[in-house]
Amino acid sequence: MSDFFSKEENKFFKDYFKKGYSVFNVKNLDSLKYIKKGIQNIILNESNKLKKEKFDPFNNFHLHVNKKEINNFRLSIFRKLNNLKDIRFHYFKVASPFVEMINGNELVMQKNLNLSIQMPKDDESLLDIHADTWSGDSAYETVVWIPLVDCKDTKSMFILPANKYKKFNQILKKRNINDSKKLFEVLKKDLSWINIKYGQVLLFNQTLPHGNIINNTKETRFSLNCRFKSIFSPYGDKKIGEFFEPITLRPASKIGMNYKLPKIDN
Amino acid sequence: MSKFKGYISSRVFMGERVPQNIQNLCIRDFCKKNKFHYVLSSTEHAMENSFLVLKKLSNSLGKIDGIVMYSMFQLPSDRDLRLKIFNNFKKKKKKIFFALEDKELNMKSLELIEDIWDIKNVIDQNKPDLQYLKNEYQ
Repeated sequence: MSDFFSKEENKFFKDYFKKGYSVFNVKNLDSLKYIKKGIQNIILNESNKLKKEKFDPFNNFHLHVNKKEINNFRLSIFRKLNNLKDIRFHYFKVASPFVEMINGNELVMQKNLNLSIQMPKDDESLLDIHADTWSGDSAYETVVWIPLVDCKDTKSMFILPANKYKKFNQILKKRNINDSKKLFEVLKKDLSWINIKYGQVLLFNQTLPHGNIINNTKETRFSLNCRFKSIFSPYGDKKIGEFFEPITLRPASKIGMNYKLPKIDN
Repeated sequence: MSKFKGYISSRVFMGERVPQNIQNLCIRDFCKKNKFHYVLSSTEHAMENSFLVLKKLSNSLGKIDGIVMYSMFQLPSDRDLRLKIFNNFKKKKKKIFFALEDKELNMKSLELIEDIWDIKNVIDQNKPDLQYLKNEYQ
């Protein structure tokens, strides 16, 4: 750890290296409310049936939308959500104090926010155990995960803590694990289930195996996720321009990128 | 309905090689999403640094509203030439879109697109020598 960081920062880094994730209380609640309200309006405008009902559109979503409709709903909400004015700006405002601590302050941000809707007993919207790097993400990315409802147990997500990663590598090397279901079973007892409330934000190291299983609670999970990384760190298959866009490029970098040594005419 | 012509490459651009049918597929999908009438693509010559087709398009679009390029990285790597081509399209009131990046090149997005170009250049120049790393860690 560096002496140039404060004691608190070094303490946080130690914990983050050990666990690979951290849950923070959101400081910019106005931006969080802006995001939640925006999505709530989209859901309520999605159909007259929903508009007329007075209900919690997030936790009780499954009471009004059936399994057959969910995919069209998800796609529609996803498209409209990403067209909301300043939505990425507010997402960044929620994430910035924490993501800047982990990734630095010159950042690229994913161009579209991802939305996850996990209705109780829905087995068609699952994300099996995986690490984002396994499908081409750069190891330098951090995921910022914002729940719109309180999440715990199977309504939430799981992650393999960083201090168990060595063990995971050994298991993978020694045992014949050829599908993600088997992998989940083997790692099950080492996984951490994220206990997080609305008003909090989760940042995690996406090189660690994570995912979800069938939501066995009686409420629907609504969460958003978005990737950030330092502008000049290496990119994986998700490139600048098509997947990421710079959001906080600083003057020294702009000057440096445009600098040319003067030409001398001999 | 606005009419847009596709623009694709027949050579590697910024280290990327994308089959022409995939470039066209992406452009067609972009036009459909934006409710543009898609006019068959023009293909840039394979010779390195050739922008003859792109330059010609800026002067010969007639009633077509502009072009949809597969990617912003198909623009010339020379900044002055890039800006000259952009200004030419602008003067003729023709638009330029990039299908892959889902972006329009206009006065508002110009700075962001130039930043992305600069970052891509720096990143590509500083790519680690993988062979060297491989030897180092073996």
